[in-house]
Order: sequence, then structure tokens, then C-alpha cells
Amino acid sequence: MTKKQLISIKGTKEGLVLRLDDQCSYTELLEELAKKVSDEGFEGQAEVLLQLGYRYCNDEQAKEIINCVQQTEHLRVTKIQSDVMTVEECNKRLLENQSETYVGIVRSGQIITAIGDLVVIGDVNPNGRVIAGGNVFVLGRLKGIAHAGANGNKDAVIAASWLEATHLIIDNVIETMTDELTVLSEHPEMECAYLHTNGSIAIDRLQELRLLRPNLSTFKGGS
Amino acid sequence: MGEAIVITSGKGGVGKTTTTANLGTALALQGKKVCLMDTDIGLRNLDVVLGLENRIIYDLVDVVEGRCKIHQALVKDKRFEDRLYLLPAAQTTDKNAVSPEQMKELVNELKRDYDYVLIDCPAGIEQGYKNAIAGADKAIVVTTPEISAVRDADRIIGLLEQEESIDPPKLIINRIRQHLMAKGEALDINEITTHLSIDLLGIVADDESVITSSNKGEPVVMDPSNRAALGYRNIARRILGESVPLMSMDMPKKGVISKLKSMFAK
Repeated sequence: MTKKQLISIKGTKEGLVLRLDDQCSYTELLEELAKKVSDEGFEGQAEVLLQLGYRYCNDEQAKEIINCVQQTEHLRVTKIQSDVMTVEECNKRLLENQSETYVGIVRSGQIITAIGDLVVIGDVNPNGRVIAGGNVFVLGRLKGIAHAGANGNKDAVIAASWLEATHLIIDNVIETMTDELTVLSEHPEMECAYLHTNGSIAIDRLQELRLLRPNLSTFKGGS
Repeated sequence: MGEAIVITSGKGGVGKTTTTANLGTALALQGKKVCLMDTDIGLRNLDVVLGLENRIIYDLVDVVEGRCKIHQALVKDKRFEDRLYLLPAAQTTDKNAVSPEQMKELVNELKRDYDYVLIDCPAGIEQGYKNAIAGADKAIVVTTPEISAVRDADRIIGLLEQEESIDPPKLIINRIRQHLMAKGEALDINEITTHLSIDLLGIVADDESVITSSNKGEPVVMDPSNRAALGYRNIARRILGESVPLMSMDMPKKGVISKLKSMFAK
């Protein structure tokens, strides 16, 4: 009986793809991997994509596998792909992509926090604060402080029917809306704020959002 | 069973105490039995504004700590037979002398004997505020047409809205100066109500006689011809459930000569 290949190596334009068997035991896999990496006689410098299939690896195990591959200086792991995740990770992912809605006025001193997107139906008054891991949408007057992409999402945007916030924060970039700010418009109706490629916050008409952040729309194509 | 209304503002100096004194007096003038309660322990003023300072024997803290019965501490305003009473705050101790639970008990006891218990709240959002709102069924937020007062009103409304036992607060805009509003130099009534988005209970004009009458210990509302008094009387009628249109804030019309004078003054 021939032993099943636990590791298959494929070359692509982007580099090597190592597909690891997802049915064998973890220790078996690691042994095989170490052997394969040292036997194969790689040359030069190659980038490696690791495909784990339906095997679940926790952070420690993933690190172990990466270390095993990078024993030889010819290989560098750029990405690990797995087809499975834990329920916990899945729930977290769900929350991050979910949109939460607050109906009412966010008054001075109040803080409204959402893990994903935040929709406020009502005004955000001065000294009121809205914080979202994703985007902030205000159907009303945003006159307080808005923080979008609070967990490091640079693509997050802040949009409001009336954008006259005192402070705008996206990721960790803060902009105080003082008179010196040239982007401030006299008629701040239907505007959005986003993180410009130059690293500072920019404000534009809401209509431009479609072009600025095409991925914001969850509808693809159209009829 | 009466109802307890707390009068609050967040910011100091906007006229909580004056409003409490005048609304209480106006309600008493309408024939209601009213008890005014000063919760500004350590900085009491309501007694002075009502001119009852000299008649205080016991105070709120004495009642709470059991040194006297509640009726012994109540000061009767003789101008209104037995319709207006004051429960004065203590002056020698501070806000931590009483707890919200004790206040609630006290207000509930007063509600049994009076149609209205008006609670004068101290400035701020700390212990004194928490004590003042503890027993209240309704809340009135007083503000003036100044941005700082409106900001603090916004904060206090937010806090009041989180109290489940209190009805949504209502707004009084105090010390309105028509000439500043007309020129757009002060926030106008519309701006304030849309910003705070709560029901407007009434507006009161700024009038010097409010200060002079407070100094004399006679609430201005007793003078029926005064502009500010009319504002307070209207608010009292609205509290009683009448629907009274908002008074016009226009200044008295100028005569031809004074008009000419003001033209040349430019």
C-alpha cells in the first residue's frame, strides 16, 4: 500500500502553494512537513501560501506550522488559508458585519457604541459621541463626535444628512472641524467623511461615496 | 395624591430657584395646594426669594434625620392662606447628608397632602441632582438662550430620559431678550426647541423686576401686569392642563417720535 501524500506542492505565478492534508493527525502532518521542506532542496526565495483545507488550527499551531516551513531560508509564508473557523470567530465576524440601529437623540455626554456599522436615526448633539467598528450613518444632524472604524478599519466612512460634527475620527486619525479646515462647506447637507489616501480625513458629497468606497454597497451588478 | 415636579437645568444661574418660586406662587394663586422643596443643601436660596428666610426653624435634613416631624419644618407663606408651603434646605451641612431613598420617601409623604410638590434642584449632575430627581414624577428643564445653558440642558435631558419613573422632561426658556433674538444675536426659540427636541412648556421674558422682586422676597408673578409674570402664569396654567398659546415676545410698539429718534440715532 502506498502511503498517501500528505503535502502537495504547486507552483503558481504568485509563488508556491502548499496544500496540507486535513484528515491525518497534526503531529503526522508536522513531521511530514519538516521532512518535505528539508528534502525538497528549494532554491532562491519563494513566497508560500499555506492551504489547510478543513483542518482547524489555533494560533499556536498555525505559528508552529509557519516556523516549520520557514526552517529553510528559501521559503517565506505570506498567507494561511483555512476553510473552517470556530463558532466564536464566526459570531465575532457576524457582529462586525452587522449594522446596529439607534433611534433617538444622542445627547451631550452620551456614548453610543456599535461593534459593526452604526445607524443613528436622530441627531447627535454637541458632546454626544457615536463609536462604531464599521461605518457611522446619521439620519439627522451630526453635531457631536463621530468615530468610525474604531478597530482599525481605514475604509470606514461617516455619513450624515447634516455633517457639522465637532470632531471626526476614522481609525485613529482625528480631525477637529475648526474654521481653518478648508474642506468645510457652508451648507453641510448630505456629506460623508472618509480617510483620504494622503492619510487625513476628507469630506465630500454623499453622492461621491459610490466611487470612493465601491465595496460599501452589498448589491452587486444590477438590472 | 399630588404630583412631584423637579425643576432642573444642569447649569447654574439660569433661574431654577426663581422659576420654582414663581410657578409655586402661580399655582397657589390658581387655588392649588403647593409645597416647594429646596434641595440645594448647603446653598439654599428659595427661602430668600420667597421672603421666608426668617421663619425657618427646622429644615429638610432635620426631617430626614428624625429631629422633627415634617409639618414642623414646613414654613407657611401667609400671603396664600394655607396653600403655599416651603420645605427649606439645610445650610450647615452638604448634599451627602441625605440619600435618594430618603428623598423619595419624603416626597411621597408630601404628595399625600399637596396637589403639587415642586422640587428646586441644585446645579450640577452630582449627588444633589440625584437627590432632587429621586422622588419626582415629572421634570421641567430650565434654560436660557445661551449656548452654554442649552448644552447643559441637553446633558440633563439625556440623564432625565434614562430615568424610567420620570415622564419625558418639558422645557422652559427663561430670560428671553427679544431685541437680541430679533437681531439674531441670541439663539431663537425655534433653534433651541429643535436642538433639544422636547416639548416647550413656556417662555419667560427677561425683566429687571424679576431681580428686584426676588430681592424683596415677593415673587414677580404676584404682579399681574408684569411681562415675566405673564410667562410664569401661562406656564402654571399649562401645568394645570389648560392649553394656552405661546405669548408674543414683541416689544411694546414704539411711538412715531421715538421711531424718528432711533432713525437719527443711527
